[in-house]
Amino acid sequence: VNRSQSEEVLQEVFLEIWQSAGRFAPNRGQGRSWVLTIAHRRAVDRVRSSQASADRDVRAGFRDIGVEYDGVAEEVELRFEAERVSRALATLPEPQREALTLAYYGGYSQSEIAALVRAPLGTIKTRMRDGLTRLRGELGVTT
Amino acid sequence: VNEQEFAELAAGFVLDALSPHDAETFLAAREQHPEWEHHVTTDAATAALLAESVAEVEPPAGARASLLAVIAQTPQTPQTPPAPPTAAPELALETAPARRRFGARGWFALAASLALLVGVGWGAVFVSEQLSTPASVVALEQVQAAPDVQSARGTLPDGGLVTAYWSDTVGKTVLVSDGLPKIAGDQSFEMWFVRDGAPISAGTFTAEDGTATTLLAGEVELGDVIALTVEPAGGSPSGEPSSEPIVVIATA
Repeated sequence: VNRSQSEEVLQEVFLEIWQSAGRFAPNRGQGRSWVLTIAHRRAVDRVRSSQASADRDVRAGFRDIGVEYDGVAEEVELRFEAERVSRALATLPEPQREALTLAYYGGYSQSEIAALVRAPLGTIKTRMRDGLTRLRGELGVTT
Repeated sequence: VNEQEFAELAAGFVLDALSPHDAETFLAAREQHPEWEHHVTTDAATAALLAESVAEVEPPAGARASLLAVIAQTPQTPQTPPAPPTAAPELALETAPARRRFGARGWFALAASLALLVGVGWGAVFVSEQLSTPASVVALEQVQAAPDVQSARGTLPDGGLVTAYWSDTVGKTVLVSDGLPKIAGDQSFEMWFVRDGAPISAGTFTAEDGTATTLLAGEVELGDVIALTVEPAGGSPSGEPSSEPIVVIATA
């Protein structure tokens, strides 16, 4: 975790929300979802463009990914929603969960994931699509 | 692009995982086929839920105040018709509506997702670095190959050595550390440019075996001093060093 980078992104996110609030259409999903979408994109952009990466620093970050999807539920008292999401993720076949996790929490692009797990790009795309569809069903997302 | 391909692209899009080329294809198709927009809407709502499983982190104390200061001077993008009646110009200016919309919980969750995403994102770099050369090592090679490469070194209390390499033409500064002290799991090393007596953070790193090659964020300026401190994981919360540097390197 890089605190100063995170703080800068936090500011960017809320500034973008402020600037584009007028274009926010209620039928595009609720405010919280809208905010989190912007937050994720900004965070990923920052990670990809930043040159200040210290290669050792990222090792700690990578461990966090493992912790994340192995489920830290015993250690951390997760909120109800968090637990629901973790459980839904756990029901996914491993390859699908892996693709979603690496993309969303790891900030990897599809081609990076393909190289990482040594699978064809098309396979990763399909896994991501199927994983997300299945997750949507598990979580009962309606719009 | 048929609908099935579009649905596949939409999934990658809401996860911010498309290549620039696929993103272009997707956006063009999205414009042409408003009738497929429901794929994007439901996928985006599902992806946003993934943020909920991230642990909360308290945002820094000054975040709200500094954001309000920026907002006060930033115009909003005009609404596009048909304008939603619930557009929120008061989003952050007035406390009450802002609270209703995001609430303290929203703030915490958001700060948390950012902290985690940025933090874990470094992990993204790490794995891709196993496939290629670390950015900092590439930078070191560039700097060392430059005609105007300069270097300076400092000694750590335990005898370890920290060498800074920089080049104005390349515009990068790289720190090569050997024999760094062991630090606790909840600590990081933080690099600083000390310019006119004021420290400017240049990034953080950890080093499991005491060695690290790290690229500093920003360019060195004439007369800068490079310093290394031990800080809470992720860097000093105050933005200023919270302890005495373990090594100081003068670049002049």
